Amino acid sequence: MSKEELPEVRDNLTLETDESRRDFLDKFTKGIFGGLMATGVINALAPVQARANKDGSNLNISTPFKPFVLPKEQPGEDSTLRMMRDLQRALKKPIEQRKWNMVIDLRKCVGCDACSVSCAAENKLPPGVVYRPVMQQEVGTYPNVGHVTLPRPCMQCDEPPCVPVCPVEATWKRPDGIVAIDYDQCIGCRYCINACPYDARTFDFGMEYIDDTADAPEVFLGQEIARKYETEASFEYAKEWTREGDESPIGNARKCHFCIPRIEKGLLPECVVTCIGRATYFGDGSDSESLVAELIALPNAFRLKEEAGTHPSVYYIK
Amino acid sequence: MTREKMGNIFVWLLIIGFLVFGFPGIMDRFAFGHQHTSYGSYIPWGLWISSYIWLIGLSAGALMISVMTYVFGIEEVKKVGKMAFLVAIATLVGAMLAVGLDLGHIFRAFNILLDPNLHSMMGWMGVLYTAYFITLCVELYFAIRKEQVSSEKQKSIKKILVILGIWSIPLAFAFHGGVGGVFANVSAKPFWHGPMLPIVFLAGAFLSGGALFSTVAYIWRPNLSQKDFVKMMVFLGKVTLALLIFDSILELSEVYVGTFYANQGEGHLWQQILFGQYWYTFWIAHILIGVLIPGFLLVAMSKSPGAIAIAGLLIAGSFLAVRLNIVIPGMLDPEIHGIAQAWVHSKLTFSYLPSMMEWQVLFFIVAVVLAVFMIGKKLLPIYQTAGEE
Repeated sequence: MSKEELPEVRDNLTLETDESRRDFLDKFTKGIFGGLMATGVINALAPVQARANKDGSNLNISTPFKPFVLPKEQPGEDSTLRMMRDLQRALKKPIEQRKWNMVIDLRKCVGCDACSVSCAAENKLPPGVVYRPVMQQEVGTYPNVGHVTLPRPCMQCDEPPCVPVCPVEATWKRPDGIVAIDYDQCIGCRYCINACPYDARTFDFGMEYIDDTADAPEVFLGQEIARKYETEASFEYAKEWTREGDESPIGNARKCHFCIPRIEKGLLPECVVTCIGRATYFGDGSDSESLVAELIALPNAFRLKEEAGTHPSVYYIK
Repeated sequence: MTREKMGNIFVWLLIIGFLVFGFPGIMDRFAFGHQHTSYGSYIPWGLWISSYIWLIGLSAGALMISVMTYVFGIEEVKKVGKMAFLVAIATLVGAMLAVGLDLGHIFRAFNILLDPNLHSMMGWMGVLYTAYFITLCVELYFAIRKEQVSSEKQKSIKKILVILGIWSIPLAFAFHGGVGGVFANVSAKPFWHGPMLPIVFLAGAFLSGGALFSTVAYIWRPNLSQKDFVKMMVFLGKVTLALLIFDSILELSEVYVGTFYANQGEGHLWQQILFGQYWYTFWIAHILIGVLIPGFLLVAMSKSPGAIAIAGLLIAGSFLAVRLNIVIPGMLDPEIHGIAQAWVHSKLTFSYLPSMMEWQVLFFIVAVVLAVFMIGKKLLPIYQTAGEE
């Protein structure tokens, strides 16, 4: 998504997660000792998903989604077209009635890493931060060997272990199932990183790809020119983030968010559209007409680490 | 030159040395954040978090001595109660500094107080440490005040100190057991997860803090006759030995269960601890320096104050190795096989050895702890006068 698209995108989707919550005055009031205790009691009684209201009313979606024209359904069409139609249908529903699911067909994944790379490009990920690595493994004993691959986005668990551990409620589950992070609230304690049973969260150490590279302006493109690409803003959680100094998202836990800015605009997540084998599917699992709902119902669909009780929103087909 | 003077000079030299050594690390921390640390995203906690639980454990242990003084009225330690508060405060400051410097956004640390999530054990930490810090300061105030008032008023202050002391018992259990809970609650890490860890944390805290205090009480000797001084040291030595035995039993149980016929969950992690690349952390730093030598000193030279003080210092100092061996092994296993090879970067690995910068910051923190103690000791009337009961 380019910078030029931003204003429109922001008008359209915006999940401005309760700005007043982050308001200094609010915090100041809470900061008084009595207030602190009261907050504690209230927090203790509230459900862990309390950051976003159940009906999504405090997500402040200012403009309703404007559907764009898609080609009519045809036999043999690309699955992305059907998924985009599914997406448009889902976006017409209230947010709390959507249930975003991803399905990854391991039989079709060739381990090309296109999804990992395009994700890094879309979200302007720095070195050491990865949202969707693809595990590759040789299995068996020679000569009976095989090669298996496993892309791993955030599982957007229905019972996310990363949410209750956050000491400052900087991460929570949205009504549509996505586990979100408030970068401005996150203190960078990395407890959530430890709590995730899928290693799905990484920490932004503030590194840049040009670190320790040669700087010889007269010989080749210098660091400063390269840096321009590194300081391109990302639009995660519908806000413009430029990595500079020690400003967020530097010093924060980061993770896959199913490309919220894209999906709320009617676009599929970057990993879905760049998958060369169409191995990744995305859509509203609560819509029985949708492609992902069909795939989830397959007998060979499974989820990672069911025993952890996390109820992931990501399914795999084997 | 008296022992106290020598101790003062030695500690101030240590403080200066540690500050000089640690200063570049602190500068690095503020200039480059966490870039030059050895931990990354797959081993997200390292030396500083281990130091935090080490220091907060020392604090809880020192608090235990003050409880002995003011709640249980144990004769042998009645002259060192105020010193125990000061040790507890200094180590608490160090612990907060260690955990603060470990945060990605240190200046948002107050979010834990202003906007806590009490579903999170770490969210509770803000509340509990604040309560603990206030309690310690109030206790120290009354302990000092007690000496400065008439004997009638002393009785009422004594009552206050007993009440505060009783309150601090569940508080110590909550905040240090709670630190154990921070780790024990993480079901994704089988090495940490379980009900044993908070108990292990408490036992370790009382041991290391009690041990440290025997060294402090030896160097900065309270106003006691030689006979009473030896009596106090022998008592502290006995307490330390009892806690050392109890802690060793807990540890033996952990090793036994963890390694029993290559226990699937954590057996290989214990293999790493016992015979892996960093075996010396366990065998040399912990078992030899932290258990066997002090154990020998406490048994064979149980009447020698000097030996008890050395044993205490060895236990307290080497306890950092115990904390490292709890924190680091818990994170050594990838949650998903092959993840370190999937996206390669120095911050995405499953091995950890603290970097020089991390050690520098730790030494800086230790210097601050020592400085808080020395300045506090200088400014506050810590030693009991002869007139006090």
